[in-house]
Amino acid sequence: MITSPSAITERHSRSGTPASRPLLVGLAFVSLSPVLLLALRATGAAWRYPAILPSQRGVDALIAGLRGPTLVQALGTSVLLAAMTGVLGTAFGFVAGRALVRATASVRRFAAVAAFLPVVAPPIALGVGVQVLALRAGVGGGLTGVLLAHLVPAAGYLTLYFLGVLGAYDLSMEDEARTLGATPWQCFIRVTLPTLRPRLIEALLLGALVSWGQLALTLLVGGGVVRTLPVELLAFVRAGDDRLGAAAAIVLTILPALALSMLQRGAKRTGAVT
Amino acid sequence: MRSRDGVGYVAVALVVAPVVAGGLYSAAASFGLAGAGATGFSVARISAVLTDPSTWRSVMWTLCIAGTATIIATVAAMLVGVRVQGSRVGQWLATASLAVPHIAASLAALTLLGQSGLLSRLAFAAGLTSQPADFPAMVYDRRGVALIVAFAWKEFPFLVLTAVAVLATRNAHLTEVAHTHGADARAVMRRITMPLLWRGIAPAVIAAFAYLIGQYEMAVVLAPSDPLPLSVLTYERAVDSNLAHRGEAHVLGFLALLLTGALVLWHERSRRVAERTLL
Repeated sequence: MITSPSAITERHSRSGTPASRPLLVGLAFVSLSPVLLLALRATGAAWRYPAILPSQRGVDALIAGLRGPTLVQALGTSVLLAAMTGVLGTAFGFVAGRALVRATASVRRFAAVAAFLPVVAPPIALGVGVQVLALRAGVGGGLTGVLLAHLVPAAGYLTLYFLGVLGAYDLSMEDEARTLGATPWQCFIRVTLPTLRPRLIEALLLGALVSWGQLALTLLVGGGVVRTLPVELLAFVRAGDDRLGAAAAIVLTILPALALSMLQRGAKRTGAVT
Repeated sequence: MRSRDGVGYVAVALVVAPVVAGGLYSAAASFGLAGAGATGFSVARISAVLTDPSTWRSVMWTLCIAGTATIIATVAAMLVGVRVQGSRVGQWLATASLAVPHIAASLAALTLLGQSGLLSRLAFAAGLTSQPADFPAMVYDRRGVALIVAFAWKEFPFLVLTAVAVLATRNAHLTEVAHTHGADARAVMRRITMPLLWRGIAPAVIAAFAYLIGQYEMAVVLAPSDPLPLSVLTYERAVDSNLAHRGEAHVLGFLALLLTGALVLWHERSRRVAERTLL
């Protein structure tokens, strides 16, 4: 039986089956239940086997634990590293991306492959080499060395990001501003920054997220001296203190959740997500 | 154009410089030319690592666990991707776990799948077990069940995002032609949508597999002590109090970088095939 193409397009504009209620419930269970489990563990003062739910709720003790110097300092270090990685990684990725979009197609293709390497290179393999380089440079075992180590994968991610963003950016606007007498600095402040502000904010968040969850590079280059939230979480798990570990895990999840919702909202506004 | 290419090359060089410098240092240290306990050019370190059965147990175990988790996550992402492509709520739910850092997800897996975890407690409540030891070991176990589940859980949202993006850009004309020739929805799904989706998603699958091979945060919490995952083995060698073992970390790190380099090339080839197919 032959059917008219317009009718087919209307009927099969999406060849997938629409999301059913059981599928949505299943996805909600799979995606969110581990986070709820962590919240349950963090607020349960005593949770002895075989109790299915914690017998005592211990929010007060939990808050005291979260306010302790260990977690507060670790949170401060993580926030500082994430912010610095976001800012420096964005600056680097933007400059690299601008240089690359003006280059020939073969250079851009080569750059995309090259920038992908630090993104997927195992952090431990990367860290073993970077650790020695940081020690030689006199920044091993310190915050600067860890920051430089976090910047390695972040620079790869953000170069790839800006290759995509600037590939779709109309450079002729800047050329027109220059023709009208704007200096390079004026052109950057008055044309480039306002136009790309949302993309730059997204890049800052992406760079911060790359640093936020890093454990292997922090341990290797920081030598156990730089104590970030993931490092403390691992220490809690190893010490058998799952409750404080779960509290740290929840704190560790909040920032990426906020960042991702901001990224999604931005993408929807620009039409990148339908 | 040539000077612009020059600036582009400088940018690329800066991005890969730490990886190349670290790789070269690891290569030099592998041959005894650098690093703690360097003795001059020698293949002793490489030989020690490559002839150690624990190295190959670690490599094979890591590849099996990463491969199994990648297959599970890919199949799930393809099946879910086609069903949530028109649903914002569905896409949000499928990708919500992206926000959970790997180390936090590993603690959730420990709390859920450990022998005194929530599943074990539910099994006790249902009368299936009478003590934690009766519940099958999934954490710190050689079969690596907890690690596979945790890996798949974390890679699933990334692959769903890719699947939805691929489905949104696919050539709808093929589907129309198939329907015109009388193909039903199931045939279109099996013969057109899924093959096209697979070609589009393949580069992301390779990237996920490469990432899982080097994953440390989940492996250090959930993996057994024998065989050790490659990332944990490399870390333990790197911080070993015996300086001779630290050189072995460079050999393992260099091997991992070579493996990653091969996967990056495979990824690029796969990406080009996907671009040609989907456009």
